[in-house]
Amino acid sequence: METDEEPLSPEASLRLIDAQRERTHRQLDLDPTIFLVPWGLAWLIGYGLFFLRYGPDDRVLVSMPGWLPLATLLALLVAAGAYSGVAGYKAYRGVAGESAERGAMYGWSWGLAFAGFGILSSRFEAHLPEAQFGLLMGSLPVLITAILYMSGGAVWRDRHQFGFGVWLSVINGVGLLAGPGWHSLVVSVLGGGGMLASAAYLRARRR
Amino acid sequence: MTAPAIPGLDPVIHAQARLRVVSSLSALGEGDRLAFPRLQELLDMTAGNLSTHLRKLEEAGYVQVEKTHQGRTPATFVALTRQGRAAFEQYTHNLRALLDGAP
Repeated sequence: METDEEPLSPEASLRLIDAQRERTHRQLDLDPTIFLVPWGLAWLIGYGLFFLRYGPDDRVLVSMPGWLPLATLLALLVAAGAYSGVAGYKAYRGVAGESAERGAMYGWSWGLAFAGFGILSSRFEAHLPEAQFGLLMGSLPVLITAILYMSGGAVWRDRHQFGFGVWLSVINGVGLLAGPGWHSLVVSVLGGGGMLASAAYLRARRR
Repeated sequence: MTAPAIPGLDPVIHAQARLRVVSSLSALGEGDRLAFPRLQELLDMTAGNLSTHLRKLEEAGYVQVEKTHQGRTPATFVALTRQGRAAFEQYTHNLRALLDGAP
């Protein structure tokens, strides 16, 4: 049994400490790429469809039913949200105390913010011109995500996370100023594509 | 039974199994506790074995074992105490000093 084992040499002890701490971190820390990939795909595809159906100056670049882009984006956002929730829950499983509390509050912030977005969208649909409604529906999730990434960066003192929130705020602003159609393109490529690119970068750095 | 301890190294921590327990717990944030089964998973130890080592660490004041209830199921959470964290830091410091001073 392990109770009778030989004490280790100092070198072996240090190696053991490092290995065990690394194993613990790998299992308990959230891998940011598991969030970036589903959200990146949701944005790339969802906003991509928006751009193709509701292009700049009311152009239809690819004909498809008018409801399809929003329905796809919402379905993909819900799927990504559920996936993140489950992943977060799994990582924090068995952890109690300050980190778990922080993670749970942060998770609820996402859930409630997007629930608010859902309610808001149902109240404005009938009252705005299609292009303006599309711009509102397209920019709010980006704004919410940007704010939550920046606050996540503040909570965990993570500059990458904060920086990504800043990036999303900037492209959202630029897209809004450029107008309907362009906003979707900017968010799809620079937002969704940006998330996938940073996931690839983080994966490569881990290796 | 145990080989003579290296002078300057805390004998409570300087046993492979307990060193792994303390290392794992030290990777948690301060103020965090880990459920017994999750700790067991991280260490690949039997429940009995882990309990034995935790008792020794608890007697030394290095870990705090808290038994609570989650709904109706009993749950045990383990955390490094402030004293345990300090002992672990001192231990790694001494290890490094031993290595640096080695001829």
